[in-house]
Amino acid sequence: MTSTNRNTSLITLTIAVILWFMPTFRETLDYPVFFLLFGYTLFFWIAQASSWNTFTGFSGYFSFGQGAFFGAGVYAVAVLAVKRDWPLLLTFLVGGIVAAAIGLIIGVVVFRLRELRGEIFALMTLAVAFVMASIARVSPTIDGGQGAPVNNVPLPDFLGDFPTMIFRLGLIVATLAVIAAQWVQRSRLGWGLFSIRDDEDVAETLGVPTFRYKITALLITAFIAGLSGAIHSLQIGYVTIEDVFSIRVPLFVILMSILGGTKHWMGPVVGAIVVVTLNDRLNRAGFQEISDFITGGLLILMIVAVKEGLYLRMRTRPARTAIGFVAGLAIGLALGALDESLITLLAYGLGIAVLAVMLPLSWFARGRSAEAEAKVASHG
Amino acid sequence: MSLLSQSIASGILIGGLYALMSLGMSLNWGVLKIINLAHFSFILLSAYVTYELASVYGWDPFLAILITVPLFGLGGMALQWAFERFRISEFESLLLTFGLFIIFESLASTVWSADFRRIDSAANPYASSSLKIGAISLSIPTLSAFVLAVAIAFGTRYLLDQTHFGRAVRALAHDREIAGAFGVDHRKVSMQLAGLAGAYAALAGVFIAMSSSLFPGIAVEWFGIVFSVVILGGLGSTMGTLLAGIIIGTVGAVATVTWGPSTAPLVVFLILIATLLFKPDGLLGAKGGV
Repeated sequence: MTSTNRNTSLITLTIAVILWFMPTFRETLDYPVFFLLFGYTLFFWIAQASSWNTFTGFSGYFSFGQGAFFGAGVYAVAVLAVKRDWPLLLTFLVGGIVAAAIGLIIGVVVFRLRELRGEIFALMTLAVAFVMASIARVSPTIDGGQGAPVNNVPLPDFLGDFPTMIFRLGLIVATLAVIAAQWVQRSRLGWGLFSIRDDEDVAETLGVPTFRYKITALLITAFIAGLSGAIHSLQIGYVTIEDVFSIRVPLFVILMSILGGTKHWMGPVVGAIVVVTLNDRLNRAGFQEISDFITGGLLILMIVAVKEGLYLRMRTRPARTAIGFVAGLAIGLALGALDESLITLLAYGLGIAVLAVMLPLSWFARGRSAEAEAKVASHG
Repeated sequence: MSLLSQSIASGILIGGLYALMSLGMSLNWGVLKIINLAHFSFILLSAYVTYELASVYGWDPFLAILITVPLFGLGGMALQWAFERFRISEFESLLLTFGLFIIFESLASTVWSADFRRIDSAANPYASSSLKIGAISLSIPTLSAFVLAVAIAFGTRYLLDQTHFGRAVRALAHDREIAGAFGVDHRKVSMQLAGLAGAYAALAGVFIAMSSSLFPGIAVEWFGIVFSVVILGGLGSTMGTLLAGIIIGTVGAVATVTWGPSTAPLVVFLILIATLLFKPDGLLGAKGGV
């Protein structure tokens, strides 16, 4: 698992800086505003999926609690910025801190158990979102069941107009989430988490401070998820309990991470890009109703057939990935996708590349790929 | 005072229904080491099938048991077969059944739409009928669910204690490898037990269809209650599950009349936390046993 080092983070940062200036040159590059909102959606899910994976993927403790952390962030803005007139940027921070505090409580209760810690943790995180929803429903200061508007908040104008601002805020949090994941993966903390995932009892015997490591990672996850949720409240505009605490957020972060692969920070990023792009195009094409069937089916397929996730598969099969992507672009071009949008073309490329990577190994060159697989497996 | 005693009585009865919903879950988890979120889908779909049979075909809701129990019993067995076939671990089972749960939920909303559905009173005379004891009235659907839950809890206990199948199940729960060495066919026993759990889910669904309105998202709302009951009762403990169901039902009902309906989930959750902190094996849970 040493395939990430400081240079990786520097490259990530460079990409982020380039993306930061995307909105500045919108006139010159002449692309529609929709691209910025699509970019924000991408950043939002990259932040959510990466933060989820930093704890769950690395430690093996399964969390359904993403919705609770996200919801804490959303309501921090809806309550403090809208009803109490706190400065917006401060409420973002408060959202992250409240989410982290919730994570801390769950962690302290569950990680003290000797047995079934993993299972109970999963169910606790599932239950916490419901409890928070019912607290919000009872308490008129939070929501009271009526929903809360998040418009008319004074927006920080140094970030530009609304699409530019939300794009840049999303970019900041996504970069933070990805760099945090990279840092955890290469740090002592990450090694500790991996040892917990492999065998917690052995790790403990060998002197890994399991309790502290788990709590630390969970705090990172919760803080970033809360921060990202706080920013997302601006995008939602009108906050309701049903939407915020629905099963949708945990479902999608789980799908993205499992799809991309949970053992490497790149996994959730790949998963988020694939899911957001394909989902956006499917919805646009009017397949909204079957998107849940696809989501559930994909999750099952990954668990049964592609346990290591897309990212590691792509690394072991770069040729297939590239050929699939190019073939997808060609098909898209032939069908006239470029007339519609670049995103449609991207969706074709990604879709075909994913299919090519997921097909069983034996369908293409045999011995070579198996060798490459063993190599990557030993290096991570 | 009569309001309080009425709510305690209905709380105990609804607790029977909770126990019925949780029993299959508890057996699956305690013995087969499978956290089966599709269990909730089975309850939901069984409720919808009951609705369909009663409203469209005019069946007596009780008769729906004849269809749903074999259907979801087989469903449970098929699922267990797939778990064995693909060597699904405990954690993967959670994820895989989460995928199934999402598929079944959207199946329900495709077939029956996202609107509230309720068997009309002409087709379901039981919903409005109740048994009066003094000032307390007990609704027939929940009363029957309670009676059935008690019968099933004791029946399952007998099955586990006294039969060859039961001994095999307990051996499996204790140590799968050693049980196999002593000739327990774990595939066969697991599938039978999963079938039983599916049948319990089907029964719970029938009573839910008789007593309340249905919508696809309702299954998510059962998560908190059922997991609290399973953990409070102790994994795989039949009597514990029955007792925990009754406790949670009663406490929830009392909280509802005292502090309002939205506080019930909060109180249930506090019970769950207290259980985890002070009695993690559950009320009657024996370590590794059933």
